[in-house]
Amino acid sequence: MTTLFVSDLHLDSSRPAITRLFFEFLAGEATAADALYILGDVFEAWIGDDDDDPHHQAVIARLQDLSRAVPVAVMRGNRDFLLGDRFALMANCRLMGDAEVVDLYGTPTLLMHGDSLCTDDVAYQQFRAMARNPEWQRGMLAKPLAERRLIAKSARDESAIQNSMKPEAIMDVNADAVAAVMREHGVRRMIHGHTHRPAVHEFEIDGESVQRIVLGDWYEQGSVLRVDTDGAALSRL
Amino acid sequence: MIKLHTNLGVITLELDEEKAPGSVANFCAYAKDGYYDGTVFHRVIPGFMIQGGGFDEQMKQKPTRPPIKNEANNGLSNEKGTIAMARTSDPHSATAQFFINLKDNDFLDNASDTPQGWGYAVFGKVTDGLDVVEKIAQIPTGTSGMHRDVPKETVKIERVEVV
Repeated sequence: MTTLFVSDLHLDSSRPAITRLFFEFLAGEATAADALYILGDVFEAWIGDDDDDPHHQAVIARLQDLSRAVPVAVMRGNRDFLLGDRFALMANCRLMGDAEVVDLYGTPTLLMHGDSLCTDDVAYQQFRAMARNPEWQRGMLAKPLAERRLIAKSARDESAIQNSMKPEAIMDVNADAVAAVMREHGVRRMIHGHTHRPAVHEFEIDGESVQRIVLGDWYEQGSVLRVDTDGAALSRL
Repeated sequence: MIKLHTNLGVITLELDEEKAPGSVANFCAYAKDGYYDGTVFHRVIPGFMIQGGGFDEQMKQKPTRPPIKNEANNGLSNEKGTIAMARTSDPHSATAQFFINLKDNDFLDNASDTPQGWGYAVFGKVTDGLDVVEKIAQIPTGTSGMHRDVPKETVKIERVEVV
């Protein structure tokens, strides 16, 4: 039996092939899994649970189809940080906290999206603190859908200009932040996404060997992590 | 006048030295140094903008001079065909990278001299070769390492002529 992990799908009506690939994954391999975890950024943008975008509604329907048979857990990412309880109810998914430890076949494993670990990107962390503030979110969600859609579009466009100005190193996780969060949760394995640098990192913290698995994005192909009693394996779809 | 000689044709720019003296001087200094020679348009988003001037063909970031002051409050708007300085979320962080607007992007204009409202400094406009800009905008894009919206065919600035 296998537990599946994906993240950073960035599903959007502008990239129908990737949405189709995800639907095939949900209706295929995922139906035989013990559980499916989506560790952030399932959507390119989520402007609130009242979002009536037909593409996003179709994704919710497919998640609901799967979750009748297989537990599906969804974590908020840096794009879909406004996912809320109504979304979880519609998709019949469990909305996860920002950091959760789950027992995977005997190995406690910390699950995160990963953006909070990119502490070298000070400007992003400032934005994150603002965007995660309940008061800011209430203000945003009180705006009409059309206005929110426009704000989200402008924010994405601006970050497109800005991101390629940033040194690549600050777009990755900070090693101290990783060590701190693994110590805090007392785990020797963690899984996260966000950086779009899929890899299995083996290293040591306080003399103990630990593992950090980074999920891949779904920009040009799919990426899935399969975890079972034997270990964990990253694959392209 | 500036002529960007790309492998897809020449883009002629008229820079506004009066309204954006700092940005123009900065751009011309990079141009005269030959800094832009061999750089690519690395981010192309149809219906938005094309961005270049900071990466080589291998998508390696080039080292830059220190950042310059943001001149977005000079009254120039990010209209179609204008050229503006790219930057990070720090308003005064522009170095070498620039972008050419593919449509009127007034949401990029200065709204207030605050971190959120500074906007992006326009410092000139395309006077000839908008067809070259449109051609670049139509190239299919994909990912390259961490980068999105990277043209699948390289669009290179071969040299920059300062006329």
